[in-house]
Amino acid sequence: MIEKTASKAEVTGQPRPAARIGIGGPVGSGKTALIERLIPALGARGIELAVVTNDLVTKEDALRLQRSGLIDPERVVAVEAGACPHTIIREDPSLNIAAADGLAARFPTAHAILIESGGDNLASTFSLDLVDYWLFVIDTGGGDDIPRKKGPGIVRCDLLVINKIDVGPIVGADVGLMLKEATEVRNGRPVILTDCKSGFGIDRVIERLVHDVLFVDA
Amino acid sequence: MSSDVLVDLSAFQHADTMFPSGAVSFSFGLEALVNAGIVAGPDDLAGFLTAQLRGRWADLDRPALWHAHRAGADLDAVGRLDRLVEAQTLGAEQRLGSTRMGAAFLGVHAKLGSSLAETYRRRIAEGRGCGHLPVMQGMVWQALSFPHERALLMSAHGLLTGMLGTAIRLSVAGYVESQRLHAALLPVVAEILETPICAPNEMRGFCPQIEIASMIHETDDARLFMN
Repeated sequence: MIEKTASKAEVTGQPRPAARIGIGGPVGSGKTALIERLIPALGARGIELAVVTNDLVTKEDALRLQRSGLIDPERVVAVEAGACPHTIIREDPSLNIAAADGLAARFPTAHAILIESGGDNLASTFSLDLVDYWLFVIDTGGGDDIPRKKGPGIVRCDLLVINKIDVGPIVGADVGLMLKEATEVRNGRPVILTDCKSGFGIDRVIERLVHDVLFVDA
Repeated sequence: MSSDVLVDLSAFQHADTMFPSGAVSFSFGLEALVNAGIVAGPDDLAGFLTAQLRGRWADLDRPALWHAHRAGADLDAVGRLDRLVEAQTLGAEQRLGSTRMGAAFLGVHAKLGSSLAETYRRRIAEGRGCGHLPVMQGMVWQALSFPHERALLMSAHGLLTGMLGTAIRLSVAGYVESQRLHAALLPVVAEILETPICAPNEMRGFCPQIEIASMIHETDDARLFMN
């Protein structure tokens, strides 16, 4: 992944194109909340963003971001998923690619384009034709057995985010166990605990993105 | 292996729903009709599919594809057909669906090495083309050496499977019923294929209920599909 993006910039001698970062995960796990945290945190480091959302039924997520005041509404576009959120990020990502290409053309100074999948199941994965790097977001409210179910989304993503750690104790989910088992099923690849409501863990997500895919001095 | 077999196998590849085209995000007006209770089951669905075939595909998509196939690499001629389809497609979401699927289709073919697809993509980016799907299919499939009769079959197959897939996801047909409907509509396609292809300036579509539903869909907040 790192080699792919770096070599493209070296070969062309052109400014590096915007990195494309997928954010997937089950309904309600906190994908949009994570983006709402990432936009200002990355913006504070001088990193410009644009966003593609794949709402399942409505344009709720796209409108939420457009009305948030965090980002120019023109930088957020929605792509309907036709009831198949995994299809348009994996088997046939052509419309999402076209949407991201459109944003890249309109906002050539953007450093990254975030592509938020519609809420899906644990088998959801991104095509690497669509993204350079992808995160999968689960939450403690879904139960602490989620990581050991070894869904492809959990195992194969570049970065696993376990969100809503504040909720874990309330619903009887062992957050420590989730972190341990997630790290095991991912063979030590990165897992970060977050609470997007308070902002806990967001800095670590930012550091990871900067190191793994953005390659900017931020 | 004969070249005919290879052409057949290649046609299956390009007509298959696995070939990326973005079609999964489009309902061709069906979602709005389902939301309005106008299409509620297999019988209604059969009427919708027949209307799409007779009212739009027969005298708009089909001739657009056929004439684009004849035009081949004459991109000015292709562009004229493209603008005619744009002018004959009333609903904004219908135009959007056709051009977005056309752009996705071109994008995939450009990545597969089609210089024609890449050239026409640039024309669209420069505002010199719209990229309506049937026109793009005629242009690209001709370059891939699919005879025009085969290209028309591929187009009809893609439309039918796309609409039936949508119907299943909207729960107006089951997986067995959709196959029955598919088989029942094949004679309709065959009958249409027996009729003469109209001239470019006679191309037209007329599906008023679908067009009105598509316009209503433009402002519908609860939507699974782009049109």
